Amino acid sequence: MTGRRTGRALLAGGLLLTLLAAGCGVRPSAVITGRPPISGPAQGTWVYLLAQGELVLVLRPVNTDPSPAAALSLLAAGPQENERAQGFTSDVPAGLDPVTVTAGAGRSGDLTVRANIAAQALSAHAADQIICTTVAAAAQVSAANTATTVAIVGSDGARGPRACPIR
Amino acid sequence: MTRWRRVGAWVSGLRVRLVLAFALLGVTTTVAVASGSYFQARNVILQQAQDAAVMSLTDQLTKVYPIAQLPPTQDDLELLAQRLSDRESFAVVLYRDMRAQGGSEITDPLTPELRQEVRDGRIAWQRVSLAGQPALLIGTQLALDRPDGTSRPSGVEVYSVRNLVPEQQSIDQLATRAWLTGGLSLVLAVLLALLSARGVLRPVRDLSRAARRLGEGDLSTRLTVRGADELADVARTFNDTAGTLERQVGELRRLESDARRFVADVSHELRTPLAAMTAVTDVLDEEAEHLPGDAGRAARLVSQETQNLTQLVNDLIEISRFDSGTARLALDDVDVAAAVTATVRIRGWLDRVRTELPPGVVARLDPRRLDVIVANLVGNAFRHGAEPVSVRLRADPDWVTIEVADRGPGLDPEVLPHVFDRLYKADTARTRSEGSGLGLAISWENARLHRHGERRGSLVAGNGTHGGAVFTLRLPRETADTGGAP
Repeated sequence: MTGRRTGRALLAGGLLLTLLAAGCGVRPSAVITGRPPISGPAQGTWVYLLAQGELVLVLRPVNTDPSPAAALSLLAAGPQENERAQGFTSDVPAGLDPVTVTAGAGRSGDLTVRANIAAQALSAHAADQIICTTVAAAAQVSAANTATTVAIVGSDGARGPRACPIR
Repeated sequence: MTRWRRVGAWVSGLRVRLVLAFALLGVTTTVAVASGSYFQARNVILQQAQDAAVMSLTDQLTKVYPIAQLPPTQDDLELLAQRLSDRESFAVVLYRDMRAQGGSEITDPLTPELRQEVRDGRIAWQRVSLAGQPALLIGTQLALDRPDGTSRPSGVEVYSVRNLVPEQQSIDQLATRAWLTGGLSLVLAVLLALLSARGVLRPVRDLSRAARRLGEGDLSTRLTVRGADELADVARTFNDTAGTLERQVGELRRLESDARRFVADVSHELRTPLAAMTAVTDVLDEEAEHLPGDAGRAARLVSQETQNLTQLVNDLIEISRFDSGTARLALDDVDVAAAVTATVRIRGWLDRVRTELPPGVVARLDPRRLDVIVANLVGNAFRHGAEPVSVRLRADPDWVTIEVADRGPGLDPEVLPHVFDRLYKADTARTRSEGSGLGLAISWENARLHRHGERRGSLVAGNGTHGGAVFTLRLPRETADTGGAP
């Protein structure tokens, strides 16, 4: 009786010590998440290019003309040397330039891009590049936001309106 | 086996149990407190280190804004990584397939789950073990503000790998201190347990010793009552019990000695009238032959009974001497064979007794008492047993043994334990014994009176293998007179 009780007490003590010894020091932990990432201002024009089939934001040095049309002209010019070296491409045809961006017919803030291209023949990536670049540039000068839709009107008719898929 | 039992008794003893209980209590409390504070302190230390590291990283990162160029060049990334690395930490900067690392040879410190969280758009950190050392990984993306207040990920991921060895050291120090505290408290608990065990065990030991002394017959044993706890209660009860016992035993002893003294006094008082009566009966005996018929028989009867009464009174006086402890041995160097032969011859039994008495056995004993014993045993054999009666003498350097046997019916097993009782009547139907009924009791006392050191004379009754009673008298060969010791 006493022996069994002593044995049980020893067992409990041993377990406790083992636990303590195992819990000592700095143990690896799971991932702990905090607040949203650090954010800050960007200097330059936002242009969306493609890399490995994805839309990627590219900053071009500050342009004197912050209008959406100027941004679209930069987009039409395609990736620069260093960007191409890193694997950036663009689906947007060079014929996009000259282009005009006007307020859309629908809800206030919506935009329409007019250019002398075949709007229907644009690939989905190319359309998204145009839409996102337009919205990003418009945000600098007007009250465009992530919900703003953009319609592309070309020589063969209109495409869209549609919002930028990158939020 | 016995040693194991003793070890077992010691282990389950009060002292060990108290020590164990105290130690367990002390250790449990200390472990609970120490581990509680240890874990708390560890969490605080780690929390502070993590918060400080995250804060420092975000502070440094706000200085890289505004960002003027995306995608960055490898040089940009290297520069950023260098700026973020210092003595305690190094940075890893990633942009798509590009990677830059400031300092440290560790090739890939980042965990996939951390990268996933960072890519999902949160500041995240994780403690890992890098090359056997604890380290903190902090990761964040660099996001770009938009005018509407939202932000866009730029695709640049910054990770800071911070060494946690200093924190580890202070936590280890905490642990060492906790172990030390635990050890000290264990020692303290054991000391306290021993102290309190002593406090409890001393009265118990005293009680045990007193009880043993009481059991050995020292009725005056008393305990000192200390304090007013349960143990003091036990001591008080013990004292009361011992007191009552002593009183009652004293009373019994007084009654018994009163009775004995009364017998002795009566016997002494009877001696003088008996002496006169004996003188008269002697005359009567002589005249009995001349007295006619009934008168002669009456005279002989009175004479016989007077002799019996004299014998009884003498026996009673002898017994009372044993009882009062005044019996003394008159020691002499005796040739035992010759003494026994003389006893038998004087009683006129020489032809009826078979003797086996090797000559030359000399012992130091009281010849008168030896005579009394042998005469009593042989007389009894004739009276209660049947012939032939044999007397055998044996001797070794320490003992002299005399065996008196007869071939009668032997002793009834029921009678055997009472043979040496005073006035015990083996035959209940016989109301009038021929002897005084004290003969064997006196013989027994006489045998016991002979003693030498640890050896003490004895008289034992039993039955022989061929039937018949056998009385065995054993006397030490060297007897020292120890006075009237009972």
